[in-house]
Formats: sequence, structure tokens, C-alpha cells
Amino acid sequence: MKLTLSLNGHSTELVAAPGARLLDVLRDAGCTSVKRGCETGDCGACCVLLDGEPVNSCVVPAAFAADAIVTTLEGLNDDPLMRRLQDCFLEAGAVQCGYCTPGLLLVAWQRLREGGELTEYDVRHAMSGNLCRCTGYAKPVRAVLDAWEAMP
Amino acid sequence: MRNLNAYLFATSPRDAVRLLHTTAGRGCYLAGATDLMLERRADLDFVVDLRRAGLDDVVVQDDGALRIGACVTLNRLESDPLVREFAGGAVADAAAACGNRPVRSTATLGGNICSALPSADMVPVLLALDAVAHAFDGESTHDIPLDEFFTGPRRTVLDGRLLTGLTLPAPQPGLVCLSRKLRRTAEDISLVQAAVAVARGGNGLGYVGIALGAVAPTPMRALAAEDILLRADPEEFEIAVAAAAESAADASDPIDDHRASAEYRRAMVEVLTRRLLREALGIDPTAEDPVHGGLR
Amino acid sequence: MSTLKDGRMAPHESPAAGRRSVGVDVPKSDGEKLVRGRPVFTDDVLPSGCLFAKVLRSPHAHARIVALDASRALADPEVVAVLWHPDVPQIPHTRAGQSHPEPSPWDTTILPTKARFVGDRVAVVAAETLAAAERALELIDVEYEVLPAIHDPAAALDADAPMIHEVPDPRGIAKGGESNLAAMIDVQIGDVDTALAACDHVIERTYVLPRVQASHIEPHVSVSWIDEDDRLVVRTSTQVPFHLRRILARILETSESRIRVIKPRVGGGFGDKQEMVCEDLVAVLTLRTGRPVRLEFTREEELIAARFRHPQTITMTTGVMNDGTLVANRMVVLADTGAYGSHALTVQANTGQKVLPLYPLKHIHYHVDSVYTNNPISGAFRGYGAPQGFFALESQMDEVAAVIGMDPLELRRKNHIRLGDVDPVSARLNEGKEGLARTVNSSSLEECIRRGAEAIGWGATPAPTHPRFKRGLGVGVAMQGSGIAGVDWAAATVKLNEDGSVNLLVGATDIGQGSDTVLSQICAEELGVPYEKIIILSSDTDLTPFDVGAYASSTTYVSGGAVAKAAADLKNQLLTIMAEHWQVNLEDVRFVDGVCMGPRDLSLDMGGVAHTALYTAKVQPAATASHMSDDSPPPFSAQFADVEVDTETGQVFVRRFVSACDFGTVIHPKLAEGQVDGAVAQGLGYALCEEVLVDDEGRVRNPNFLDYKIFTAMDMPLMEVIMLETEEPSGPYGVKAAGEVVINGPAPAVVNAIAAATGVRIRHIPATPERVWRAMHEC
Repeated sequence: MKLTLSLNGHSTELVAAPGARLLDVLRDAGCTSVKRGCETGDCGACCVLLDGEPVNSCVVPAAFAADAIVTTLEGLNDDPLMRRLQDCFLEAGAVQCGYCTPGLLLVAWQRLREGGELTEYDVRHAMSGNLCRCTGYAKPVRAVLDAWEAMP
Repeated sequence: MRNLNAYLFATSPRDAVRLLHTTAGRGCYLAGATDLMLERRADLDFVVDLRRAGLDDVVVQDDGALRIGACVTLNRLESDPLVREFAGGAVADAAAACGNRPVRSTATLGGNICSALPSADMVPVLLALDAVAHAFDGESTHDIPLDEFFTGPRRTVLDGRLLTGLTLPAPQPGLVCLSRKLRRTAEDISLVQAAVAVARGGNGLGYVGIALGAVAPTPMRALAAEDILLRADPEEFEIAVAAAAESAADASDPIDDHRASAEYRRAMVEVLTRRLLREALGIDPTAEDPVHGGLR
Repeated sequence: MSTLKDGRMAPHESPAAGRRSVGVDVPKSDGEKLVRGRPVFTDDVLPSGCLFAKVLRSPHAHARIVALDASRALADPEVVAVLWHPDVPQIPHTRAGQSHPEPSPWDTTILPTKARFVGDRVAVVAAETLAAAERALELIDVEYEVLPAIHDPAAALDADAPMIHEVPDPRGIAKGGESNLAAMIDVQIGDVDTALAACDHVIERTYVLPRVQASHIEPHVSVSWIDEDDRLVVRTSTQVPFHLRRILARILETSESRIRVIKPRVGGGFGDKQEMVCEDLVAVLTLRTGRPVRLEFTREEELIAARFRHPQTITMTTGVMNDGTLVANRMVVLADTGAYGSHALTVQANTGQKVLPLYPLKHIHYHVDSVYTNNPISGAFRGYGAPQGFFALESQMDEVAAVIGMDPLELRRKNHIRLGDVDPVSARLNEGKEGLARTVNSSSLEECIRRGAEAIGWGATPAPTHPRFKRGLGVGVAMQGSGIAGVDWAAATVKLNEDGSVNLLVGATDIGQGSDTVLSQICAEELGVPYEKIIILSSDTDLTPFDVGAYASSTTYVSGGAVAKAAADLKNQLLTIMAEHWQVNLEDVRFVDGVCMGPRDLSLDMGGVAHTALYTAKVQPAATASHMSDDSPPPFSAQFADVEVDTETGQVFVRRFVSACDFGTVIHPKLAEGQVDGAVAQGLGYALCEEVLVDDEGRVRNPNFLDYKIFTAMDMPLMEVIMLETEEPSGPYGVKAAGEVVINGPAPAVVNAIAAATGVRIRHIPATPERVWRAMHEC
């Protein structure tokens, strides 16, 4: 099936099999920040924003992208808030292997954009769908709080 | 989902039923797709996507009942003000305890119900609140008490009909509704789930709903336990709660699997039911969901 | 003698005087590309025309593969090749990525003639699309001769047990392969029986350790192709590129010169990628089809057919005097190596060698039977046998303390190994054979115990947060090694460029732990140039010198030594060049902060020196150095857990966790803390929720992250890391290892805390809610 969507701010046409997963279609389209981790919606490595909401693209049909706005990390690399988050991740030592990092960044970015108060508990709650096997989450959580504290 | 020939979008409930019944091959409805994508069923030729069929309303009716469309996402249930205000936020809280944030973005109330898993996270609280399901056959809509909806693991009474939504009757004044799931880690499928709803009335309790998940072939109501409380005198609530919790455990019919043994599950039905009832009746606040990890 | 530096809590205090890179939180060398999500992992860039491979796996735990008909699969024009055992060389080897000669038995072939576990390789398919490859699996008809299987390791040595490996004289199997005993160890130091008879108390307990999985988030994935010179290139997510090249050359009946292995960024390894899991399969498919081939495991395959921490049953018999003096210890281990003997000997050697020296008794007996079963394959996983051993030892210490009525911390203080002590075990046991004696030349263990206890509030357990909770504190002390003494070695090459930048080429494999960064820091420090001037490349068998790879906590200590030597050599070359250039005596030339200084006011910065070398002297300043250590100095840790137990449900919640660590000198404080944070998360999972469940037919019942539970951000306790640095004389800049020691303490600390809270002793982990509930109800 043919899908018309906005992918990272660009109007895009993609071709996908009717049963295709959004994850595979996005990786084929060059969005390799979207990682294959568990394929059951449990690890968050394939997280993308679908109409602004975080979704695990391994359990989302590609067809959901039809007429939708899809944002991957590639599309936010020029966003000032994302850059701040990325800098805070680097500064805090929140990156080890980096495989889960794009998913963590997207979830954190979306949570920061939601606004409101942000406690450490809130950050951990927001990240609870993102599995990281390297960091024990301590430094990624710190990085998100650092980014939040630096927000205007 | 692996061998789909067609992915169809329904524009209305009527359109959805028509597409399912007139398209060649084997098909099924799809809402949030989170369960369907996991199953990777090879036998499906087509799916009918319901997300554009107008099934995503949340309405409080004049009589105070809450009507929720089948395609309302769990994330929306968690945050929608009408749902948050209904029955003390019990439905919203149950939604918040399902899966993780990205999964809740797409997973729907209707999907959680129609997948008909014994551990369906949304169902116990809905059962405790006496929910009624609406099944549409293309011509008319039939109201089915949710208690009669499930016929076995992954089986329902729908038989090709479309679940358009649910109605939760207006809660009786002062109703308290709580639900809890027992988990291995902070993010988990239920080992055991329990939900209770109680309201004072007359000389004792005017309303009691007790429902369980993951402890029987289908989510279930513990009717005998409800009865014990309905007949209990306020002075005897504490004893009645203990008896009701035991009764709920007796009524449960859990299995041994890789998540837990039947024996443990049955024992936990008693623990969760007792705690929830004691908290709901103000005996003591023991039901508070344990916080995993180091932060409160 | 080592000197104890000031204890340090994050944030790090200033590094040792005069150091500009070592001890500094420099930017991680690969950080920017990782946070930008650039295509740097194996699967991110595929060669054009790449085929997709899938493995047909055995549905039987034990079955001869009699016949295979792929004609229905091959009828699909998208299916390009189906290979099974007659199609590939049948050269016995081990898939364990270890130094030559591998201590693991050569008990496998690329595609076996007999399936030995549910999930074993039967055939491999290459197709134009992944979907076509998946479809093809269902269209291959296989005739099996199903054989009786063994799943209980305790029954594997029974006289009537079916033989799992019946190859005549398979290299490396214990006793010539006459039984299912894959490896056996028996080491006696002193006279345990006599010593036990003279003790005031003898305490014997049995501990049961689960099968757990590394669960790196990037699955195993490999891509191969034939390059323009007809050489085979394998780009793969691995910890051991050089071992892979050597093993591939032999089993593909070619030579190392025909093979190039490239390691890009790796999304976590933890030992599970110290194994040839996909590489040989893509290689045979590429050689057969002439086309690029990619194979990536699904998560389900990871949890069925990757590698697992060896499940063990450990019986420990400890003799102690009334005053708390430990006298003798016997440790008897039954280990399940599964269907193949990957690391069957050496993991179990570690269970004794890394663990028993913590209390260096005169009388020690260590015995292991490591047996074949028709279960999933065990292998390397961070800690490499030590987490099992320390669970037993550190649980046992609390049991001993309870029997003699002593504070568990006091018992440890009285008996633990100290600076200057000789480790009694290493000379008798290293990699499963006689080894080199080891003396402790650096240790802040006493301080680690003191500071850790202080931080957790030992002796003053906080009140439970709820009336139905019980709360307790527990400790787990541990040590490990820094590389394998006399075995692990590494090389590094440095090369100076015009602008004073330096190419640092290392075979050491950065798998996310940050070794590229740490090795660059050592190089920069040695040369006196800014860290930013180092351009590191790891690892490519065509471009970088040899290194055994990332395992055994070796990289900073061993590869770091090679880097320091190469950089020192380069510096000497530059001094010679500048002395000649300035026509002054060599001894009058030196480097100060990266600036070359001669007599009088002669001076030139590194860029100027490079220009002089390249364009006046016309030489390329470059050096390659190799490094090996006959020592494996132990890093130490003392870890403390504060847990609450819900007495009605058996749920255990870890509220706080303190790790006090001696890693020698810390090169990069944040990365070192990150090693602790991650190891604690994995160790807590081992304690509480991780377990691969295998049923009576050998099927994994929970091959997904829904039911193989690992800790989320919500499960983690508040954590504190206390670094108590020492200066290890044998390590570059005084380093020891960091990566593994801290995975040993969490499990015993947690069960000891559960026991302190409830009086209930969990000897079979993970301590799931149900197990704790049962234990409490049996009381």
C-alpha cells in the first residue's frame, strides 16, 4: 500500500506491505535511529512520535502512518530542546552503547514538551518503557532532569 | 498480520461491519493493533482499521453514566478529565497501569476488551463498575453486560459483531473504586489483578462490585464475595471483608504457568481483595500500591 | 605498596597533580554520533543487493537430522539458498571467542548433523527479503530421528544417560568425551577434611543459580560480503574480532589473509558477543551465493539460541571457629553448560578462582562438574562464573555469621584478603589449569567496607515505609581480576599527523563501555597532547593490531598498557628526531605538556614536531607496542542493599544501593560509575526477577521481554557509588579493572537483606515474589 505522510517535516510517500510494521518501513526509509530491540513493544528502542505521541514502532502497523505526522530522532536533531537534551546526556555520562539512546531521547523530549512539574519519579515513570542494559538508568534520568532545569 | 493482502480503513461502524463481512478471505477488526502485531497471525487476509470509524468519543450522559468509544486510547483514558472525574478516577488509574507509555499511545479500550485475555488490564475495574458493552451487527446495537461478554481465553460473545464502546452506569453517591495489579517488576503484565467498587446505602452497602483478572479463563466477578458484603452489617465490615476476600479466592480458578503458580495466585486474590476492600471501606489504608524501586 | 587516595563521591575531585586526561571526564569519543542517532551500528548500513538470512531451528531437544528437502522453499524465486550440514565443512571447533588454543571443547560444526537443544541450528536460508526468508523456514521439510534428551544436569552423568556428544576423542572434552562431563576441575589446597573436623562449627548449604541472559538491547547481527579483491568481509556486532577471524579461517578452510572482520559500534555485549553466533552462517551463505548476507537475531532467538550465564548448583561447606576465624571451605559446583561446551571449563574455573581467594584460607577444596544437557547453550556473561560463586560465598558468610552470632560485616572484616596477601587459589587454578601466583599489591577493600557500611547506615536499619513491610540491610563483598594473567594480551599502534593529532589504532573492542575513550585518554596523557587530538579506530582486522577482545575485564588494564607503551615509544622517537634536528644531546630534549623543549629556549609544539618529522627528517613517527601481564590484580567492591519485603505478597523492593569500589586509578570517573550503575541493574535483576525458564521438553517458556523481566527505570533503587582509588603498580597509571567485579555483590546483598528483614533465607534465586512468599510460609 502507498502511504502519504509527513516524515520529519517532509511530505513523503512510502510503499509498504499491508501487514508491514512501522519500524521496518522507517528503517528502510533511512531512519536508522529507530532501533530493533525486542519486536514486542517492551523495550522502547524503536520509539518514534506518531502525531506527537510516543509509540513503539515495532507494534504499530505501517498503515498508521497514512496521513500522519511521524517524527524520528533524525527529524529533531536541529531542535534546540533536543540539542539541549543530547548535550545533557553527553555531559551526564548517560550514553554507553547508545543503542537505546534515541528512544530515551524521544520519550524525554516528548515529556519535556508536555510541560508541567517534573520530579525524578516523573522522569523514571516516563522512561519505564525504555529498557537500557548499560546504564542502570541513573545517568539518563539525571540528564533529563538537567535538561529540564535548564529550560527557560 | 504477516500475510495480509489488504489493509482497509472503515469510515463508520456500519462501514466497518460491511467491510468485515463482504471482503474476501479471513479478516478482523483492528484498533490499536498492539496485540495483533504481537501475535503475527499468519491466517489473516485483511484487517479493518477502526480508528477512523468515529468510535473515539468520551461522553458523560445526562444520567451521569460514562460512555467510552471502543477506539479511545489508554493514554487518553489516563488523562481525559471526564474519565479522571468518574468514579474517583478508577478507570483512568487502571489505564495508567497498563503497559508502558508508548504502548498506551495506541492501545485502545476496545482492543483490550476484545483481545479477551484473562489478564486484560482494563477489565476488572470495568466489571466492578457494572460496565455494559455495545455490540453492533450492522443494523442494530445490542447491550451486553460485560460480565457476560467473555466466553473463554481469547473468546467473546461478539461473533463478528463490532464492539462500539462501553457504558459505565452512574456511580452511586460516595462510591469508592480501586484496582491493583500484582507485578514482578514495575512494568509487568498482571500476575493477579483485583478491583473493588463499594458504596454505602441503606443500612450497609448499597453497591458492591468485586472483579478479578488473570486468575480464571476470563476476567471474572466474585459474586459470592459481593453478596457477603451486601448482606453485612456496618459493625461487621471487618469480618465480612475477610470472608469476602476468602470467598473471592475460592471463586478464582487460576492456572500454573511460567509467571506464577495457581496456589500463589489464589493466595494473592485473597490478599489483594482484602486490602482493596479495607481501604475502600476506610478500615485502613493498606491497599496503597507499593512503589517499586527507590523513589516515592 | 599502594597508597590509598582520598575517598571520592561523585562528582570527581581533581585528578592527580599534573594529569590532564587521565582522571578527567572527557567527552566520550563516540558520544556525539550516538546521541544524533547516526547510522553506526552493524545493521544501519547494508551493502546493496544484500540477502537476508534466517536460521531453521530444531523443534526437538535431541534429534539426528536425517534428511532435508528444501525444494518447496527454493521454488520461491526470492529464496536464494538453503544450506544444511552436507553443504558446509564439518570441521569441529568451538564458537567461544577465546585465545588460541581455546580451552573450550571443539564440539560443534557450522551446521550440526544432530540437534542438541530446542533451537539448535538445522539449516540456514538466504532470501531477497526477510519476509521471504521467514516464509521459507516453513517450507523446509526435515526428517528427524528423535533421541532421548536430558534436561536435568543432575541426571547428565547417570550411566544410562543418552550421550550428547559422541564424536570420537573430541578435543577438549573431559575424560576424552566418554560421558556427558564437558569439563571437570578438582583443586585441593591444604587438607579440608581434617581441618573441618577440628572446627567449632561446620556449615553446609546448597545454593541454586538460574539461567540468565545478557539482554544487550542490540541483538546479535552480522553482515558479510565479498570485496573487490575477492576477500570475505564480515562486519559484525562482536567483542572478539581477531578470534573470529582465526576461527573463521580454519572452519572455512581458508586463511586469515582472505578474511577481514570489522567491528562497528556495538549495542552492548556483556560477554554474549564473545561468541560466534551469526558470523559463520553469513560467511557460508556469502561464499555460497557470492552475495552480501545479513543475519540478525530476533529477541526470541536471543532468549533461546544466544548464550546464558551457566546455571549452577553450589554446595558450600565452611569450617569456622567460635571467634569467627574461617578455617576451611569446600565448594562443589554442578554446572549446566547446555548443548555445547562454550566456556564450559573456564567459566567454572572462575567460579572458584575469582571467588575463593576473598577469604584466603589454608584449606580449600574446589570441585566442578560441568555437564552437557539438551538445554540452551551456556557461555560468557559479565562476571564469568564469579556471580554464581559470590552468591554462594557471600550468602554463606551471613549464614556462618548467624550460626556463630557475629555481625556479618565483622566476620568479613576478620577474614578478607588484605594488601600483601597471596591469593592461595590462582597459582593452582587459572583458565582451568595451573596458573600464576597472585599477590595483592593494591587494595582499599577495608575502606570500601567501612565507607559502604557508613553510607548505607549499617546497624541502623531505617523504619519500614509501611506497616506491612519489613526492612533490612545486606552486604555482598567481591573481587575479580584484571584480564587473564599470562594469557590476555593486546597491541596498539600510534601514528603522528601534521597537526599534532595522533591516530590510535587498537584491536580492543569498544562495545559501549567506553574503552575507545579511556584508551584515548591514556594515549593523550602519555604524549602530553590534548585528548581531542587523539583519533581512535577500533577494530578492524585489516587496520588495527591484534587484541584478544573485550572480555575478562582486560581492556583498560591490558590494552591500556599497550597504548601507554606505544605512546611512550612514539614520544621517544620524537625526542630522537628533535635532538637530531636541533643538533643537541638527546638527554637535553624533553616533552613538557606536549611541547618539545630543548636546551636554551628551543621549543616546538606537537604540530611543529610533526612537521619536522614528516617534512625535514622525512620519517613517519609511529609505533606499535604489545602488552601482556603475568598479573591479574583484583579490583574489589563492597556493596550494600536496603530492601523492603511485602510480607503478604513476597514482593521485594530495593530502596537504596551503595557500591564502594576499588578499581585502582579511575581513568574516566563517569564511565567508571556507569559501569557500576549498569552492573548493579543487572545484578539486581539476577537477584530478583531474571530467569530463563526451560520446560521438561527443553523449550524456553519466556523468550521475550514481557516475561524475561529486566529492571526498568522504575525498579531501580537510589544509588550511591563510592570510588576508593588505589594505585596498582602493575597497571598503566595504576589502573585495575572495573567492568565485572560490581555485578557480583548485588544478588548476595539483596538476599542477605531479605534475611535480615524477615529471617527467611533465599538460597534459590531469583527471589521472585512467589519464592519469597513460599519461603515465608514454610517458616
